[in-house]
Amino acid sequence: MATDATRADFEREALPHLDTVYRVALRLSGDSTRADDLTQETMLKAFRAWPTFREGTNARAWLLTILRNQFINEYRRDRSRGPTVDVMEMEGYTVFKDVQEADPEGRFFDQIVDERVLEAIDALPEEFREAVVLSDLEGLSYAEIAEVVGVPVGTIKSRLYRGRQALQKTLFNHAVEMGYIRGRSR
Amino acid sequence: MSDPVFDCRAAVDHLYDYLDGELTTADADLVRAHLEACAHCFRFFDFEAAFLRFIEARRRGEHASPELRRRILDQLLSEGDPPAP
Repeated sequence: MATDATRADFEREALPHLDTVYRVALRLSGDSTRADDLTQETMLKAFRAWPTFREGTNARAWLLTILRNQFINEYRRDRSRGPTVDVMEMEGYTVFKDVQEADPEGRFFDQIVDERVLEAIDALPEEFREAVVLSDLEGLSYAEIAEVVGVPVGTIKSRLYRGRQALQKTLFNHAVEMGYIRGRSR
Repeated sequence: MSDPVFDCRAAVDHLYDYLDGELTTADADLVRAHLEACAHCFRFFDFEAAFLRFIEARRRGEHASPELRRRILDQLLSEGDPPAP
């Protein structure tokens, strides 16, 4: 049995991030059962490696790094979800150009229900989805995301830019379809 | 950012760094000064800020289930002490 002190330490430093780990697992895997398993495996792995954890280490970033490796090793081989958004088209495009006359403050966004927002995030290609989820849904800094993903900050910035613009475009198209806003006549 | 001409292009290049609070104070001041002088960029940044707030508001929607939390705590209880490094 683990000593109470070790467990208390882990429960204080790591467990508060359980919901974050679960939410990111859910967005990465797209499946709540897989997300449960990934979360459990991540927490167990973190607990077993706990003696290597040093005070001052960013526990959240560390847990998310473990989660991501777990996901890549175990789940990504089975690619059941194909990305549906072409992020490469995003260079130089902004939704603002289409809405600046009708709705420059982006009020139409508020009519879109949460479920559609998450669907739109899930439709992003993985590396862009990952950046958007860690930044916009979980509030990590660029440096933290770069640490978790293991790429330079500049790469994260570029993925965030393209991911956000692609997400905006998907949501805008949805809003036009639903009649929340008029599409620009071309 | 040593270029004395901080134009729309330069401001837009820093769109998300600025909105995410990732710029140094000096660079953020340059962007802010541009936004004060350029109504078009101001509106564009305003729109993007609204978009980010909108996404952020979806932040805390989901939680690990009580069953999952219980499962993890039970597993930690049955684990031996992690090996010392």
